[in-house]
Amino acid sequence: MPAPVEEPISAHIEGPHRSAAHLPEHVAAPIGAATAAEALKDGPRGALLIAAMAVGLLFIGWLAFYFLLFLPRGSVG
Amino acid sequence: MADEPPNPLQRVLPGGIVPEDEVVRTEQRWLIIMLGMLAVMMAVIVVTSLTHALHPPSNVELINSVTLHLKGEFVESNLGTALEPDGSATVRLIAQQYSFVPECVNVPADTPVKFRLTSPDVIHGFILGDTNVNTMVVPGFVSEVRTSFTTPGEYTMPCHEFCGVGHQGMWARVTVVPREQFPKLTVVERTSCVPQ
Repeated sequence: MPAPVEEPISAHIEGPHRSAAHLPEHVAAPIGAATAAEALKDGPRGALLIAAMAVGLLFIGWLAFYFLLFLPRGSVG
Repeated sequence: MADEPPNPLQRVLPGGIVPEDEVVRTEQRWLIIMLGMLAVMMAVIVVTSLTHALHPPSNVELINSVTLHLKGEFVESNLGTALEPDGSATVRLIAQQYSFVPECVNVPADTPVKFRLTSPDVIHGFILGDTNVNTMVVPGFVSEVRTSFTTPGEYTMPCHEFCGVGHQGMWARVTVVPREQFPKLTVVERTSCVPQ
């Protein structure tokens, strides 16, 4: 008895691939210009917070490498 | 595709959502933060360089690599660790394909140590694990690195500049011993008539 031949995945795909965000009900409702202006009236604070956290971690990492790794390894000249 | 309804998520929002003065203020604040961080980093580097006497090894000293083994500072009998009258130590090494000569040197802890190296053949690398000692050894030049060791122990010293087919086997060691023990390790001097 021959082994069953599995159908390729492509046989189950109908039409071009679409992400979940393709359907509006799967994503947050779009906001209007007035709502966007209200949310951004004090600047992009969320983006600033994320950028500050990323840069702050980088800065702390640099200081940690310098004072905890580089300097304890002794001076050279 | 042409008959699909327009995606509301792709609607282009009108410009000027964020007030212009808010954009300028945000950019100014971010610039100040960046300049502040750069200032702190530069200050840390400058202050610690001055207080710890940190600077890249930059000794420029020529030597004739052809007669290296015949006369001068790097003849075989003069290699290894020598104590100077001021209490510091000078270590002279030759890096060659594919070994350091000598293969192991003793140095005292808590003592200024000066490494002087040169090469008779190709470019080699000199690095000591767990320290900041790191320089290249270039034929025709004398490389010099000054440091001091606070922790006794064995430090590996691999060549870190590819120098040929035997590069991976080019290892040596530096053994740091407590300062009071170092004089006991001084080897019996060899007699030699090689001019130094």
